[in-house]
Amino acid sequence: MNAWAVFFDAPLPYAAGVALQERLHAARLADAIPDTILFLEHTPVVTLGQRGRNDGVRASPARLQELGVELAQASRGGNVTFHGPGQCVLYPILKLGSHEADAHGYLHNLEEIAIRTAADFGVTAYRRAGKNGAWTDDGKIAAIGFRLKRWVTLHGMSFNVQVDLAGFDLIVPCGLAGEKVSSLARLLGARCPTVAQVRERLAVHFAAVCGRALEIFPPGAALPPALAGLLPAAVPRIGK
Amino acid sequence: MNVPTELRYTKTHEWVRLDKNGVATIGITDFAQEQLGDLTYVELPSVGDNVEAQNEVAVIESVKAAADIYAPVAGTIAEVNKKLEDQPELINSDPFGEGWIYKLRPDDPSEIDMLLDADAYEDMIPDAEE
Repeated sequence: MNAWAVFFDAPLPYAAGVALQERLHAARLADAIPDTILFLEHTPVVTLGQRGRNDGVRASPARLQELGVELAQASRGGNVTFHGPGQCVLYPILKLGSHEADAHGYLHNLEEIAIRTAADFGVTAYRRAGKNGAWTDDGKIAAIGFRLKRWVTLHGMSFNVQVDLAGFDLIVPCGLAGEKVSSLARLLGARCPTVAQVRERLAVHFAAVCGRALEIFPPGAALPPALAGLLPAAVPRIGK
Repeated sequence: MNVPTELRYTKTHEWVRLDKNGVATIGITDFAQEQLGDLTYVELPSVGDNVEAQNEVAVIESVKAAADIYAPVAGTIAEVNKKLEDQPELINSDPFGEGWIYKLRPDDPSEIDMLLDADAYEDMIPDAEE
């Protein structure tokens, strides 16, 4: 059975994204749905990793509130990060170990997807030893952090397209002081693609790298019943 | 992929070795450690805790991942690998040896025989060859 990819155009609050992932995770464990990948954007939020400490957050709670940036605790691995509109977030809900491609290591695969996607738009991205994610000469362009519960994945990767990079000034990204964060917009200027264009390429590379053919559900498309029931009407997929 | 034949395995990638004294040693497999990458932290259970089969007993974290470790069968936590507190990387370097995570005194040791054997586990994990 093909994996399902669901695209969202309307930025989603972080908590709604977590709740949705948890429902998909339970359904995936029960084999009620195949591997499913959410492609979405979040409204502005600073998230802390598992055991996350506040020392990676530079801005005071009052300052965050003033800027309309939420602060949330996440159950993923990794350190503090920022999400906001203009950043493509991938939440793969996968049973790991069911495909040959999984043997290469999930972290490695996520990095590979980001590197290939950046290359499609003429940006050279690469791995750095001991510093996970995908990096350019101008800084980190994709951040990774995931969770395994019963070997089904939660959380995943965020890829900076045209997100306001000022959001990263509120934190010490991934706890790495002195490291920069970049985006396609910063590197490409007016030639920067849209989030939707980047999403298409991320999906193509996801299918190849993770060895799963994707059935894609664009924002306007009806979802299979098994999935529609997990997605409350309160979670819109079409942007305003 | 290294899958020692003398051990039992779970679908959640733990290995189990039942020792002569009736205590089972539990860790994660080579496949599992490779998926997670370099481990940075292990949250160990408390000795004396009673656990049911499939209960979450520990959390291990790598630079980018967090994963739960489960009890393969019901029992009592008998010992934990304190070395992992300072050297979680032992799970990466020696998953079946020095990287063991905890020991469990099973309520019913015969349940361990019902876990996957090495052949069955090896069939379950994907091959890296393409």
